[in-house]
Amino acid sequence: MSLNRLFIFSKYVRLGRRLLSPRVTQSGNEVTSYLQSERFFRTHTRKLAYAKDLFLGKVNKEEVFPYPEVSSEELEEINQFVSPVEKFFSEDVDSKRIDHEAKIPPETMNGLKELGLFGIQVPEEYGGLGLSNTMYARLGEIISLDGSIAVTLAAHQAIGLKGILIAGNEEQKAKYLPKLATGEHVAAFCLTEPGSGSDAASIQTRATLTEDGQHYLINGSKIWISNGGLADIFTVFARTEVVDKDGQKKDKISAFIVERAFGGITSGKPEDKLGIRGSNTCEVVFDNTKVPVENVIGEVGGGFKVAMNILNSGRFSMGSAGAGMIKKLIEMTAEYAGTRKQFNKSLSEFGMVQEKFAVMAMNAFVMESMAYLTAGMMDRPGVPDCSLEAAMVKVFSSEGGWVCVSEALQVLGGLGYTKNYPYERYLRDCRILLIFEGTNEILRMYIALTGMQYAGKILTGKIKEMKKGNVGVMLNVWGKMLRDSFGSKVDLGLTGKDGVVHPSLTDSAKMFEENVHFFGTTVERLLYRYGKTIVDEQLVLKRVADVLINLYAMTAVLSRASRSISIGLRNHDHEVLLANTFCSEAYFKNNFWMNQLQKNAPENNDDGIKKIAKEVLAQRSYICSHPLDRTY
Amino acid sequence: MRCARSLVRIQSLRALPGAVGGTVQPAAPRNAPPRNAPHARSLTVRGPCGQALRSLHTGCVLLKNRPVATDYQEKSEREGGAGKSLVTYDDLFERAALEAKTKATFNQVLDVFVKRDIRRRGHVEFIYAALRKMPEFGVERDLEVYNKLLDVFPKEIFVPRNFIQRMFNHYPRQQECGVQVLEQMENYGIMPNVQTKVLLVQIFGEKSHPVRKYQRLLYWFPRFKHANPFPVPHQLPEDPVDLARFSLSRIANDLDARVTVYQLPYTDVRETGEEVTQPYVVGIQSPDQRHLLAKHNPSRPVFVEGPFPLWLRKTCVYYYVLRADPLPPEEKVEEPVDPERCFYYPLQLELDLERDLGDNDSFDVDEVDEGLVFAMCMAGQGDQATLAKWISGLQETNPILGRTATVFRLESGVRELQSTAEPEPETGPSEEEEVLQSRGMKQ
Repeated sequence: MSLNRLFIFSKYVRLGRRLLSPRVTQSGNEVTSYLQSERFFRTHTRKLAYAKDLFLGKVNKEEVFPYPEVSSEELEEINQFVSPVEKFFSEDVDSKRIDHEAKIPPETMNGLKELGLFGIQVPEEYGGLGLSNTMYARLGEIISLDGSIAVTLAAHQAIGLKGILIAGNEEQKAKYLPKLATGEHVAAFCLTEPGSGSDAASIQTRATLTEDGQHYLINGSKIWISNGGLADIFTVFARTEVVDKDGQKKDKISAFIVERAFGGITSGKPEDKLGIRGSNTCEVVFDNTKVPVENVIGEVGGGFKVAMNILNSGRFSMGSAGAGMIKKLIEMTAEYAGTRKQFNKSLSEFGMVQEKFAVMAMNAFVMESMAYLTAGMMDRPGVPDCSLEAAMVKVFSSEGGWVCVSEALQVLGGLGYTKNYPYERYLRDCRILLIFEGTNEILRMYIALTGMQYAGKILTGKIKEMKKGNVGVMLNVWGKMLRDSFGSKVDLGLTGKDGVVHPSLTDSAKMFEENVHFFGTTVERLLYRYGKTIVDEQLVLKRVADVLINLYAMTAVLSRASRSISIGLRNHDHEVLLANTFCSEAYFKNNFWMNQLQKNAPENNDDGIKKIAKEVLAQRSYICSHPLDRTY
Repeated sequence: MRCARSLVRIQSLRALPGAVGGTVQPAAPRNAPPRNAPHARSLTVRGPCGQALRSLHTGCVLLKNRPVATDYQEKSEREGGAGKSLVTYDDLFERAALEAKTKATFNQVLDVFVKRDIRRRGHVEFIYAALRKMPEFGVERDLEVYNKLLDVFPKEIFVPRNFIQRMFNHYPRQQECGVQVLEQMENYGIMPNVQTKVLLVQIFGEKSHPVRKYQRLLYWFPRFKHANPFPVPHQLPEDPVDLARFSLSRIANDLDARVTVYQLPYTDVRETGEEVTQPYVVGIQSPDQRHLLAKHNPSRPVFVEGPFPLWLRKTCVYYYVLRADPLPPEEKVEEPVDPERCFYYPLQLELDLERDLGDNDSFDVDEVDEGLVFAMCMAGQGDQATLAKWISGLQETNPILGRTATVFRLESGVRELQSTAEPEPETGPSEEEEVLQSRGMKQ
């Protein structure tokens, strides 16, 4: 009996010790982590972590408030650039003809070259315009009025020559950039292969070193190369044999600058595409193309990083491009809606037509805000990593663009469907935005996983303690949950005393803060539930990415509208209206998605969706019987 | 009390017009010439007193053919005498079978029976005999014949007339026989149609056992019609190559798998007079299998194993597989995910967190390690020489087979057996082979 009691007593003691000890260690942890995070922000002030921090439920407001500005001189400079380009596009570019003939006429090309649009971001010392990202985005707004030209220019400078620009050495830059900047040479980016879209492992093009060690012989074929038929300079990715540090031979990707003059390059017939018909897309075949070793971009075997950097850096401008397009569409359709009369009323008096214009205006506003916020971040000194933000801009603006063009066409009804109006061309052209530079699906994976990786590294310790049943951590979490459920207001410091958001946007800012807080707990919960296997939960990741995109969009509009009111820009009340409307809409969507994320797969329909797809794909057809079928 | 009495009076009054109507109705079918029409009509116009004129006892068809029927009846009486046993009805069919075992002769027998006797004496025995003989005549899947068989029952006699009859099993032998007909239909998967129902209602009445059986059939058959996701057709392809093609794609169950005919069967007589037969060789392989085979370690042998049986309804076919032994644990290396694989997003997270138990929906499955199957084939002959042709054919698309040792592990050279397989006297059949062959013969 007494023995038994002794045993029980000892258990209590142990329990008590356990109850005490975690608090100690935990508080110690907190101190260290606090210190670490402090140091982190100090040393990385310019290494941007705004979007990533949202995964932790934090708003790193210094990064996004106030909204980035350009100086007056810069603004003047950009306006000087903009007006001739605008004039050129409205007078000299015949988009209908380009679309019909599937070719950009040489005089238009020459005009573009004269305007310097082939070297917008090439530094001035190499003969380019040397414009910042913000200015590039501004020009993108106008260039996007013709999809074919926009894609041709983007393929040339956003990806084609970007490799030389960001990873090339001085000699390469000096040799190639001047001619590329003037448009004398056109560049193309050769990555995609018949068997390889985003999978580097299935790249078949091979570069073998010749015996003298001075040249590489490139063999293989690349498909869907924009400017493939026009280009003189190609950035080509190919497999090379590399001896790694263990002394083993391994195949790695390397990037090469290949001139058409090197020989052995044949371009296929241009693809007949749905949209952007004027841009040249074709297959490029390399047959024993002899490339000197000094034309390797970066180091041999380092092509993967080069490719990733090029792809990541090229996306942000799509936001302003989309906004430019929608702004133009609003002008055109609004005229129609104002003049066309039905039942003695003009179209603009009908609620459903009005809604379409509101959607278009809101989308344009959000896209613009996101694009210039991101461009502004990228223009800050240092080497900020804005790839996450850029990817979000791309996803949001490509999808918003598609919806808006479709709505604009809808306003015109049957007229919009004909070739007499440019709407069908816009619709076809802007469909590519959802596909190229990484499909939106792939970018969503990138957005969600990058953030998850970042949050996971920081939260691993805490989650592990929770899983171990550490009472201290658990109590902490439960306490937080309890506080949340009693509806305590989330305050992340956007409003109030040190607030950065204008008071007229307080409600929206509160909604945003609430969403961010909820998002932080959701991410923590997801990491607790799935751990590293979250990579395979694509439906979960899709929602995470969607919420994050909305959060970033909310940030952008809050920041921009606050600035507009504060400095008294024209029609700033309209901006406030747009911002508030968008925020409350996004707030509800976010809450819905995050509530779904809290649930298990059978409850949020994921299981059903997966099962449907599985059954259909197993048969590779629609498997239901016909409704008219009978069994007897 | 008064109230109740008046209710009864009203009811009896209401019954009267029905009775009047009933006496009129049954007269109609008598002069309706088409055979099916009267059945349908009697189903739709069954008044409460529809059985009033039941003294007729026979269907309209018989009435029409009365002179002929009596003629037959006399003839059969002369032949068989009065006491007909079960054996005589078998006789009837066997005599017809001497001519030809077809649907036509079967129908003829039914006609003869129907016309022989207006009272259809012994129809239950006759129907049982007919049911037994149906597969022999090859009409066991013919709905028309079943309906004709049901038509042998005299109409309206077995329909219960009052509640006592309805309560008890009225004419149990006949009802059971009717159920038996339906049961045989069920066993052969024949779905009765509306004519069957009309006949059953006419013969046994609305709520008789056969009609209930019919209703159950109609309830379950449509539901189970597509229960099997891998249906086997009743009529299998005759050509052995087509049959092999069908069976192989059935086993493989992979939409990408491609069937290759490595050798077509043919028989040739040489100048010397000896007959050369070439058995067919048909194989199947999917791209995944080819891919796995390409990764196979050539220092380990691959095995040709077989024959394994596959039953397709009543036919048994045999197939052979090309497989490898399961990999020993030391050779199983999980390829690490290359971090430089995807240009766009990380394929793997560097986290030290596993999936939580609450979200682990997988079952605890004890997986038995089996060797990979690289390809399958069917051949006209199961000897090594024939199967070697398959391997050499495979080698064209799988060059690795040229460097890999192929071991034939064949369980005695069983010839492929099908429903019409004949025993092979030349090869001394092993014990197992005999078992297989006898099974094949039985089918």
